[in-house]
Amino acid sequence: MAVRANPDLIDELQQFGARDAVKCYQCGNCSAACAHSEDPYVFPRKSMHYLQMGLEKPLRSALDPWLCYYCGKCSEQCPRGAEPGETMMGIRRWLTAEYDFTGISRLLYRSWRTELITVLTVALLTGIGFLSFGFLGGGGNLSVYDGPGAFLPAHDIHIFDWTMGIILALLLSINCVRMWQFTMRNEHSAPVSFSLYARYLLLLPLHFFTQKRFRKCENKTPWANHLVLMLSYLTMLILIMVFLKQMQSGPKVNWYVHVFGYASAIGLVGTASFAVWGRLKKDAAYHRHSHESDWMFLGLLLFVAVTGIIQHVLHRAGFPMAANITYVVHLMGVVPMLGLEVPFSKWSHLAYRPLAVYFAQLQQAAQAERALPLGGSAKPQPAA
Amino acid sequence: MRQSVNQVRESAVKSKAETTIAETEATTTGAGVRIGVYFLQTGPESSAAMDLRSVAEYAAGLPGVITVRTLTVSSALDPDALALELRQGKLNTIVIAAAHPGFYKPVFSRALVLAGCAGEQVRLASLAERGDAPTTAQAKAVVACAVQGIPFTLAAEPGAGSFDSATLVIGGGVAGIQAALEIAESGHKVYLVERTGTIGGRMAMFDKTFPTLDCAACILTPKMVAVSQNPNIELLVLSEVEEVSGSFGAFKVKVLKHATRVDASACVACGDCAQFCPVTTASEFDVGIATRKGIFIPFPQAVPNTYMINPAYCTWVLSGGKKCGACAKKCSKGAVHLDAQDEVVELSVGNIIVATGYDMLDARRVERYGYGTYPNVLNSLEFERLTNASGPTGGKIVMKTKRLNKKTKTEEWVFEPDGPKPKAVAIVHCVGSRDQNFNAYCSRVCCMYSLKFAHLVREKLPEAKCYEYYIDMRAFGKGYEEFYERIREEGVFLVRGRSASVIERDGQLFIHGEDTIAEHLLTMPVDMVLLAAGLEPSHGSAELAEILHIPRDGDGWFREQDYNSEPNSTGREGIYVAGVCQGPKDIPDTVAQASAAAAEALRSIVGSAAAQNRSQDHAGAPLQANAENAAAPARS
Repeated sequence: MAVRANPDLIDELQQFGARDAVKCYQCGNCSAACAHSEDPYVFPRKSMHYLQMGLEKPLRSALDPWLCYYCGKCSEQCPRGAEPGETMMGIRRWLTAEYDFTGISRLLYRSWRTELITVLTVALLTGIGFLSFGFLGGGGNLSVYDGPGAFLPAHDIHIFDWTMGIILALLLSINCVRMWQFTMRNEHSAPVSFSLYARYLLLLPLHFFTQKRFRKCENKTPWANHLVLMLSYLTMLILIMVFLKQMQSGPKVNWYVHVFGYASAIGLVGTASFAVWGRLKKDAAYHRHSHESDWMFLGLLLFVAVTGIIQHVLHRAGFPMAANITYVVHLMGVVPMLGLEVPFSKWSHLAYRPLAVYFAQLQQAAQAERALPLGGSAKPQPAA
Repeated sequence: MRQSVNQVRESAVKSKAETTIAETEATTTGAGVRIGVYFLQTGPESSAAMDLRSVAEYAAGLPGVITVRTLTVSSALDPDALALELRQGKLNTIVIAAAHPGFYKPVFSRALVLAGCAGEQVRLASLAERGDAPTTAQAKAVVACAVQGIPFTLAAEPGAGSFDSATLVIGGGVAGIQAALEIAESGHKVYLVERTGTIGGRMAMFDKTFPTLDCAACILTPKMVAVSQNPNIELLVLSEVEEVSGSFGAFKVKVLKHATRVDASACVACGDCAQFCPVTTASEFDVGIATRKGIFIPFPQAVPNTYMINPAYCTWVLSGGKKCGACAKKCSKGAVHLDAQDEVVELSVGNIIVATGYDMLDARRVERYGYGTYPNVLNSLEFERLTNASGPTGGKIVMKTKRLNKKTKTEEWVFEPDGPKPKAVAIVHCVGSRDQNFNAYCSRVCCMYSLKFAHLVREKLPEAKCYEYYIDMRAFGKGYEEFYERIREEGVFLVRGRSASVIERDGQLFIHGEDTIAEHLLTMPVDMVLLAAGLEPSHGSAELAEILHIPRDGDGWFREQDYNSEPNSTGREGIYVAGVCQGPKDIPDTVAQASAAAAEALRSIVGSAAAQNRSQDHAGAPLQANAENAAAPARS
């Protein structure tokens, strides 16, 4: 079946940050320069071509963009300044919006004003909500931080965290299912047996925790930074979701819990600052262009990390009222960061990337099972 | 620049006018041309730059001028009234001097008809000839030309007596040779200045030309010999233009002529000197893939066919005359003069043709192809010399082999005629071209010469595989598409994709790239990689542009005045460009442009002679100046 071309696709992708794809003249230098590009997932040239031709459907069903980790080598060598790396980044944003069934992601990505207003509104509502709860339903006393009668009791926050976590996981899961539909259930994909899904299931945690594909890039610094950021974030998430009571107890420092807290706080602030510094300096190809959503992501992350630290310091230093206020401010960052970023924006790639590696492996295994050659011979045929 | 040119013009024209007046006064005879000069103005009488009254007075003094009138044009001119005036003054020639005189021509033509002077002339003096605000001197020159019936553009060229008919051609490649021959064979003097030791340029290095696969030397050598035998051409090799002064028609050029240290008139190119020369160094003509002696001839068919010494390598020169000197001792003709000195030659020329050609892009800059690191990665000029029958292997395509240099005790990679033959050759297009990291422009010739390389490989090594990594195949010329088809049919593997890298593993080269049609990555084991490096302006172009005061474009090529209609002009009168120095082009286009540049130079040479003849005719014509009328310029 012929593919219907959408000539407006390239204009749409420009709003997602793929600004220079029109310049590409399809030389293939990028694909050959890329450490990740290998048959049958040859990119970024092919994706650039989909974009130029408006081949929306093949682009939506492509796993290639998630297999790119944006080391920027393609952009450095690009003879046209078409920024293939940034184009892949733009396509990833677009795919996030395509996977998202609510349509919120598209709104947030396409307009930084909408994104900013949404974040501020959610933050404001969160602030009002927690203050009202603190005064009316919680401890009622702003000068009590921990223990019985705390302004925001750990138990209630714990319930709030889990409720939010489950809702976000649900939203993200639905988007993941849509990703699976687009990429694995189209007319070009080979049918994958259940046993194959089971056999390669371990790839998911492996790639989630190690991000070992990222390491294939020539420059290892981004991988290291990304891994530390991810692990710090994960540690903090576990601490908050499971050990919130211990975290909030005090004023004595509970070293069994807090040592992890300190480590991940340092990790978060350090890596996020490193990323901000890189994006300001723009010396590496992968930092040359920053979409508004990148700044929002880093801004929220730093805001949450720093307010979390201040809150902790104020609490231990014996300023419960200030600690409580900072706590509310902290939550005003946490809720929009998680609530908007995880299902609808940048955070969602924590699910999409391992899934893409998993799906790509499944496709190849399924092809091998059917013993079908992948699109013909790999050797060039003599002309005529 | 323009200012000075105009000054020359004015003084030339003025002096011409003055002599004419003198001659006319001496031979005042009968009536002939009776001129009325009409100044038409729409604004105030004098602008800041031009004093109309003084121009009118000057016009009155010109030969043949009977009346001078200044009319302020406020409404439509009346042809009947004008006709009356013409009849009264018995005028038969009208000069309309105005900013846009053509506008008033119909009414004056009509007036001439009414006055019964049909068929006579209306001449236009466009005061805005060189801009909106002419100076008094410029206006006088324009009016004087119109009065004498000389087109301003021709007459404005410096007087025929002072126009130098000799031409300087800078660069002795095929463009320079062609231009020099065109002019010299028209009977005019040419100085051909060449930086290296021989003319022939890049084309002399080539083996074959595309798309006809003619032998390049067979086309070029007869032209080179014609240069050496033409008495109108003075060839200066090892020479560089140092300084240019003067202007169109009268350039003064200083050329630094490096000493060849061999007397060209005595040398018979027997080669005895080179036999005894102890110095061996890389041959420039063979782009470093072969060696030559310290005293050498660039290649056997070189013009001039004399030996020369490169002082940078000569033992005698380097030791200050204390050591060696073998060549001078062995020369039976006594032609070697080791102590010869460089000299500065001063030339007077009317035109200059720039044909400085190109250099290859240094392929080392495109690091990922490993040029300079892997011995069997060659650039295109190296391959041209390798496959050329006069090259180091006699035209055999072989791989470099490792050899111990006995003198330096180091191992080096060299071409030897019995070296191993490559089983697979990759040709990479667009090396440093169409790439904003290097040169964004297309070098225009690489596609076709790469196809030619593929043909040569397949022809000389039928069992070898040949891969071409291209982006777009630009076969734009006559017969080029057919050539492309032919190469395809010869069994060349054409990979549509730019190779990203060349790597070596266990002594085997691999070339890696994407076949963008099959959408697969290819890693091919090959024995030799040929890099189709792009063209860049030849070194020294920037300095030459400074010397000549001519502009260059953003890529460093000399800029033509107009891409479509003035492709040879530089914007400075009397200086033309020809060949690749104006922008990448192939041999047919280069030759065509060189002939066109020669035509431009010849136009001014012939035109100045014609102008001289015409002004002499006018000077001899019986003209009458009515002094009384002339003294009353503005009566309206």
